[in-house]
This record gives sequence, C-alpha cells and structure tokens, in this order.
Amino acid sequence: MSVTYIDAIREAQEKLLREDPRVFLYGQDIATFGGAFKATKGLAEQFPGRVFDAPISEDAMIGLAVGAAIEGMRPIVEMQFADFSSLAFNQLVNQAATHFYRTGMPIPITVRLPSGGTPGSGPFHSQSMEGIYAQYPGLVVLTPATVSDAYHMLIDGVALDDPVIFCEHKFLYRWLKAQSINGDHLPIGQARIIRPGKHATVVAYSAMVHEAVRAADRLQQDGWEIEVVDLRSVKPLDLDTILASVARTGRLLAVGEAFPWGGVTAEVVSRVCEEGFHLLDAPPQRLNARDTPVPYHPKLWAAHRPTPESICEALRKLLTF
Amino acid sequence: MQPFADGVVMNHDFLRSVFHSMLKARILENKLSSLYKAGKIVGGVYLGRGQEAVSATLGTALIQGTDFFAPLIRDQAGRTAFGEPLIDCTRTYLGSALGPMRGRDGNIHRGRPEMGMPAMISHLGAQVPVVAGMLFAKRLQGTLNGRVGATCIGDGATSTGAFHEGLNLAAVEHLPMVVIVGNNQFAYSTPNHRQFACADLVEKARGYGVGGFSVDGTDLLACASVISEAVRRAREGGGPQLVVARLLRLSGHGEHDDGSYVPTEIKSGHYGRDCVEVAMRQLVENGIATVDEILAWQDQFAEEVQRAVAQAQQEAPPDPYQEDWTALSTRFPIPQTCAAQ
Amino acid sequence: MPTVPILMPQLGESIAEATIIRLGISVGDSVRTDQEIIEVETNKAVMGVTTLCDGVVSEIRALEGVSYSVGTLLGLLDVTEDEIARTGVDTLESLEAKRTAGSHSSNPAQAEANLHFALDDDAYEEAPAVVPSVKGLPVPTGTMGAHYISPRMRARMDDLGIREADISAIAGTGAGGRVTVEDLERFLNYLEAWPNTHASPMRLAVADAMRRSWTRPLATVGLPVNLDRVLNHRRDHSPKPGLTLYLLRAFALALTENPTTAGYLIGDKVVHPRSFDIGVAVQVEDGVVVPVVRKVDQKSLRDLISEYDDLVDRARRRRLTEDDCRGGIATVTNFGTFGLTTGTPIPLPNETLILGIGAGIKKPVWSKEAEVFLPATVADLLLTFDHRVVDGGGAGVLLNRVSALLQTPKAL
Repeated sequence: MSVTYIDAIREAQEKLLREDPRVFLYGQDIATFGGAFKATKGLAEQFPGRVFDAPISEDAMIGLAVGAAIEGMRPIVEMQFADFSSLAFNQLVNQAATHFYRTGMPIPITVRLPSGGTPGSGPFHSQSMEGIYAQYPGLVVLTPATVSDAYHMLIDGVALDDPVIFCEHKFLYRWLKAQSINGDHLPIGQARIIRPGKHATVVAYSAMVHEAVRAADRLQQDGWEIEVVDLRSVKPLDLDTILASVARTGRLLAVGEAFPWGGVTAEVVSRVCEEGFHLLDAPPQRLNARDTPVPYHPKLWAAHRPTPESICEALRKLLTF
Repeated sequence: MQPFADGVVMNHDFLRSVFHSMLKARILENKLSSLYKAGKIVGGVYLGRGQEAVSATLGTALIQGTDFFAPLIRDQAGRTAFGEPLIDCTRTYLGSALGPMRGRDGNIHRGRPEMGMPAMISHLGAQVPVVAGMLFAKRLQGTLNGRVGATCIGDGATSTGAFHEGLNLAAVEHLPMVVIVGNNQFAYSTPNHRQFACADLVEKARGYGVGGFSVDGTDLLACASVISEAVRRAREGGGPQLVVARLLRLSGHGEHDDGSYVPTEIKSGHYGRDCVEVAMRQLVENGIATVDEILAWQDQFAEEVQRAVAQAQQEAPPDPYQEDWTALSTRFPIPQTCAAQ
Repeated sequence: MPTVPILMPQLGESIAEATIIRLGISVGDSVRTDQEIIEVETNKAVMGVTTLCDGVVSEIRALEGVSYSVGTLLGLLDVTEDEIARTGVDTLESLEAKRTAGSHSSNPAQAEANLHFALDDDAYEEAPAVVPSVKGLPVPTGTMGAHYISPRMRARMDDLGIREADISAIAGTGAGGRVTVEDLERFLNYLEAWPNTHASPMRLAVADAMRRSWTRPLATVGLPVNLDRVLNHRRDHSPKPGLTLYLLRAFALALTENPTTAGYLIGDKVVHPRSFDIGVAVQVEDGVVVPVVRKVDQKSLRDLISEYDDLVDRARRRRLTEDDCRGGIATVTNFGTFGLTTGTPIPLPNETLILGIGAGIKKPVWSKEAEVFLPATVADLLLTFDHRVVDGGGAGVLLNRVSALLQTPKAL
C-alpha cells in the first residue's frame, strides 16, 4: 500500500471538505470528471454542491473565489495547468494579493497550480510560475516536494488567512510514492534539511529536490557529502535554515526548474550574499531551466531543465573552486 | 424600496431618497474638485457628475446589510445611497490615517468589504466576478434568497475580458446580479465607435443569456423604474440583469482633464442635460418635493459635506515609521507547535 | 486675523507646474468658499484654482502669463477664526507649524509624516549618469591555491586577528590547495601545545610593515666598498659623524642625480620625490624605528650631525613623534653595527629603496699601482629595490655612485 503525491492532494481536499464547511472546490473539469489529473476524483459525488466545474475563465474563477472569500468561504481553485494562471494574473496579484494591505480584510483563497514539466508537455503545459507570484507582496507561495508535504501543506495553506499559491509538481503526481502520509509535519514557512552533508549546500524546491538528492547520491561515491535543503515554501523564504546550512558547508548551489532570469534561485543567492557573505568559500551558484520556452520533445525537455547530471556538474565546479 | 408601489403610483419616499443621494454626491464632488484645485488632494479626483441618477437609484434599490454593491469610479451617489458615510470619502481623498484605506489606497479605490461593499481596483471589469463570488458564497451558505449583488461599469469596461468572463460566469451560475453599464459615451477620451461595434451595448445581454434593459440615465423617473425593475428581477430569481444607461459624463475623466475632446453638439444634446436639474424638476412637477425643501436640503448637505471635509483635513496622515509594512495577515514564522496540531 | 495661503495645486499626476492665464481677484476682494479665483493652464487642460473658505484677498504674489511650480504661494487671504473652524483649512501659521514640526523635530517619524502634503516639496532633479569607477570587480576571480582567501576564511581570520602572512605555515587541504577554515583551526589547535607570549605593539607594527612590503617583487644587489677614506676622515673630524651619516649623505646626493629610482609606483602612476628626506633604521627594544632626516641633499655632513644624533637618541628613548617618521623616500640601514657583513634589507612598504651596509672587514685588496695586495677596510654595500620600479641597471648606477661618493668624504 503506497500513497502518491496526487493521492495526498486528493486526500487533503477530501479532509478539508469533510471538516471545514467553508471549503469548496472550483475549477475546470473538476466535478464529475474529477479533474485533468484526477486530483478531485470522486469528490463531487462525495460532497454534493461543494465541487464545481468552472467555465474556461481563469480571471473570473479567481474573481469569484475572492468574492466568496470576502463572504467567509475558503475556496480552493484548481488551475488546470499553472501556465493558464497567467490569464488570472490580474485577479491574483491586484485583487487577492493587495486586499489585506488595502482594506485590512485577508483573502483566504488557495489556488492550486499543477506546475513544472513532464515529457512531451511543451511550452504551455510545463511552466513553473512560483517566482512570478513570489515577486508580488501579499501572496504565500508553497512548493511541496514530498507526498507528506503535499498533504499537510495543502491543509495548512487553506487554514492560512492569506491567499496561497500552491505549486504542485505534475511530474511528482504519480512518480512520487510514499509508504504513508507520515508525521514529519513542519509549519509553513520552514524549510527542511532533507539530506545532511558538509561539503556544499543545494537549495531546491518541488521536483528539483529529488534531482538534487540523486545528484548528491552520485557525488557521495566520490566522497563528497552534499546537504540538500528543501525550501517547501518559497515565500516566505526560510533564510535561517539556508544560512545555517551554508554556515556548515561554505558552498551554495540554488536549483530551480523555472526560467533563469531572476526568480527563486536568484533570491536565495542574493539573500545569502547579503546576510551570509562571511560564510562562503566560493561564489554561490544557480542552476535553472534554460532561457527558452519549455520545449516539447522529451530529449530537448530533459536538457532544458536541471538534471542530476547538470546538478553534479555544477556541484563539482563549486566544490573545486 | 420600490419606486412604483403598484406599478403605477410613484413611491415618493424612494424618489426623495434617491434625490438626496444625488444631491449630496453632487455637493460632495464639487467640494472634492475644489479641494483638488486648491492643492489639497494629491493623486486624482474622479467625479460622477451626470451619472448620479443611475448610481443613486441603484444604491437606493439595494439593501445595505443584505445586498452587495461594488461601486466603480463614478459611483459617489450610489455609495452614499448604499450607506457609505461621507467621512469615508473625505478621509480617503485627503489621506487621513483614520479612513477605511488608511492612506494605503486613495480616492475612489475605497470600500468596506465587511459591509458588502468591496474596494475597487483600477482594472476595469474586475469587480464583476468578485460580486458573483460574494453571491456564490451566500448560495453555499444557504442564505442567498432575497439577496442581490450589483456593480457598475462604463462603456469602456465592456471591452475587457474581465467583464465578459465575469458576466458569463454569473450567467452560468444564474446568480442574482445586476450589472449597470453607464454608457457615458467616452472611455477617458475614446468615443463609443472606437470601443465597440454593436448598435447598442444592451444587445450583449442576449448573448450572455441575461436580462437586458436600456434607460435614459439623465431621467430620474426612468432610472427609478428600469433599474428597480432589474434589481427586482434579479432578487426574485431571474438571474443576472444587464442595464445599459445612456448618459454623458459632465466632467473630465478626472479633474486634471477638462474633457475638451467632447464635441459641443454632444454637450448641448439631450444627454448633455444635468440629471440633477432634471430630477429637481421632476420632483417639483410631480409634487414629490417643493422648491423650498430642495433648497433646504442643499444647505443641509453642504454643511454635512463641509463638516466631513473639515474633520478629515485636520486628521493625521499615515506615519511611514509606524506603518505595518506587511502585506500578509499571517505572521511568519509560525511556531512549530501550531502546525503539529 | 489668520492668513490662509493660495497655493498652486497639483493639477494632474504628472504636472509639475502651471501657467496663470487670468487672475480673477484683486487685493481687497471678498472671495467665497469654492470660488474659482485664478485660471491656470497645464499641458493637459485649462482649470481654475479655488479657495476653500470665505475671506478677503490680502496679497497677490502671482503674475498673469507666468508659470509657477506646484505648491508655489500665489497669494494670501485674510480669514476669520470662525471660518477656519468651519472649513478646517490650514492657515499659513498652521502649515508652517506642521512643516517645521516636521523638519526640526528630533523624531524622524514626525519629519516624514507630512511628507506627502508638505508645502515646500522640492521638485526632483534628474540625477547625473553614474560613471563606473572600475572596469571590473576588484576580485581576483582567477586566483587559485593558497593565495585565495574566501569570504568565510577572511571572516574567521578577522575574528582571530590573523593576517594572510600568518597562514603561510599552513598546508591547505581545500580546493586547489587552499587553506580552509578547518585547516586554520587545526593549525591553531596544534599551536596550543606550544609556549606562547603576546607580541608587543612595536613587534606588531614592524610585522605589519614588513608583511605589506613583502607583497612586492623585491630584489637586492650589492658591491664591496672601501671604507678607509671615510674612516680616516671620521677620525680627524670633530664632532665625529657616524658611519651611517656618510652613507646617508652619499645616498642623498646619488639620488638627486638619479631621482627616478626613488619613484613609487601606484596603479599606473610613478610618484616622484618631493624632497630628499631619507630615513635611518634604528634598532630599539623588540623592533626597528625609522626616523627621517630632512633635505639631506642640501645639508653638509657637519650640519647633519646634531640633527642625526638627536633623532637617533630620541628613537632609542622611544620619544619620536609620528612626524619624525613621516615622508621618507628611501632608508639607510647599518646592520654592520651588529657585526653582520651581509644581508637583504627590506624597504618600508611606502618606499622603493633601502640601502644597507655590513661590517667593515680588513681584506687584502689588489693595488693596480703597486701591483701588490694591500690591506683595506671593506664592507658590503647592498641596495634592495622594488623591481616594478627599478631594474638591475638603474640600481647598479645608483650603488656605484654611492660607492664613488664614499671615496671623497671631504666633498660630503
């Protein structure tokens, strides 16, 4: 018996619907059909009148969620793909994100973004949007990398009074399995050291955590001990955990699947330089996707995003600096 | 309140109430213009001059505490009618730290979401799905019956995707919603023929599958009749209603703009007439109010407005050193113990 | 009666000024609340400036046809106290009070509080373009091996008060042979077992100067010099000049003929001597001090004696001032006094040259005239120079000239 990452997301939504009458689900094809990825499979039958198919109107879907939140609900909106949230950008960053600061009333909506690449998905079904949303004040941006986090962080995210952008990785949906949803349950905003080491720190999040761990396994054969930090939440960013790790290792590589210009890895590196320059033995490094749209062909796609090979290569460069 | 109690006889109280809000808004907005021209308001001043009859009728037809109203840029009269205190307006325009927006947002970008009046953002059409969401919440909570949500937009906003998505969604969800399009013929300076190609915006109602109404926005009695009917239909389960009010903006887009691009023929045409003057005549001619009453209201409202201005002017501005510079209500880091539960 | 200002309003988000088209008022006129009194034109529109209370125009400061920036005082109104209470307008006094409360308050919060509604907001001036002062980062990105000290290592060394020179004894185990923090800690741990004392401030000062000097490519050249003529001259002289003083004087004269050899290289510039002021190394307890003798080229040996003796005396008693040691262009050191015959003197970090002399020894010297070996007192004369500035040739010319001058002590 094992639990997949997408099972965890479904379980979490089931628990939320069961225990919190304020919760409802809104998204395209999520009711009877159960969602493009089956993240809401069976929930419409199990919770009649709580799970709704939305018209293909991403902007209005978030607008509706904001209005419902004003009136006391806790909507969970599923974007069919993270890429399509660009159509809801206005309601997300201008309406939901500014509301608490402007009016004093927080907007507790959770927007699930099926994020990241899978082979063959191409330019418009593969994007990683976390950096863009993290740039805007007023949004909490979560990027779970484990089955257990997918479950607990969705539940904890819905419990927050602020708008939450929940970036769940499509590649992990079925690929990632766990024995159970275990009890390691950290609060939102706290990073986790997923693998201890002493020669270099890799800061990663979402699917890249697993690629980083694979890279660390390979380097272990050469005697290098790599510490891997799973950010879990990119905003807020747990700088304390990152700095503590860099203090141990003196070397930093930040890995992200998003495009390379700016973004989460740039933020991590710049904050470490700002506050932890004295901890560094080498210039901190970043590894991101390439600066092109995400390509369709699996061979191109595999070379577009960071891989265990490219992480190893970046680490070797870092370790021998 | 219904304007025509049995469909024929005018409801004097309703019309007097609408007119109060029209007059109060006009006096307040004249004052705002004056404050701007004396250098007391930074940012901008955006007036609803010429649109008071439409806005105030809607605000009066809605019930505060039950209904929802998402006002837009030219809805001072509707805000007043719905119950927004004058001091909310003067505090927000004058940057008082005590206003509903506390200096964090200004002018018409204000609201009181807790009383069913969300604060608009500048992006046009964006309030349409928000009102739909507020109503949707009430349906889920089982308290939708008898409630209406309304918002106003201009002719320009009908070109946005947000308007389209929002109205379509409201129609799909069959929500008790009223969307009023104040077609004031110019979106800032852009005339109707550069904004849409249909003969009349009300034709869109059919496309969305919602109720459609047209009304002369300069005519109080017509507004009272048509808008009230639209609100009634929505309230009674008829789904979304689109009301297109034809009128003319009797000022610039903002007070920095003299509106000199509006042709004289339009200004001197039928829709160039002042709805407040029309309303006064209608009230007097129909025996709803006397000239003396109206003059007394004028003095009374001028004094109320002056008090709200005087008070807000002397209140402290926000203090950047005391400001809570956080956009999240959650205070991070969250202690470990909380999450364990 | 209180005075209320008429100000040029902000008529549009990007408007900085407006032109007065028509002044609708004269001094003495009564004005009413919300009356448009002045007609102005911006690049967007024509508009009226209003008053916010009833009053009487007491002064007009604006002219028709002239542009005024936002916030300019255009005129003044006399307004009754009652009217001010009714309308809540600011008087000139209350505005000034708000403004000064802001600008003079010790509380910066108060100062900032009125920022957005201040009367005298200055217009922003466009900042000049920034000219980059360096071509690239002053970071030795290509530096590998023990010479590279990471920010982490640097921070730990600063904690411990340790300099680069101090870690030269540590074999690095880091990337490219670098010394890591762990290497450093291990080394310090190892040293714990050894007896140690605190270095004196004098020791630390010498250590610092030598460490800094040693960052340059220093070269030393030398030749034997016959001291008999100097010693004879000295024997007959009263008071007796020290041997070092002869050297000092000869060095100064030689330098006046070859001033570029004393140049100091900084960046792409060579800085030349302003004055031939030359330092003398004096051994004191636990260190060396270098007082400077001024204008050595312009004073005779006789004139220099008392100045020299005074400096050396005060140096030994540790009574030199900072000024006594400042501004030298080169230094002379006589390590012969310790019985040493040869050595490699190190110049001060701010000087390019140091001239040293060893102990004189009786040696057989071949006489061309007599064609026999004759006894002579010979010492090694050594010149260390910064090879970035001076080459062997230039150093040789200088050293030979010093040697020659020492053969004619009377001329010194």
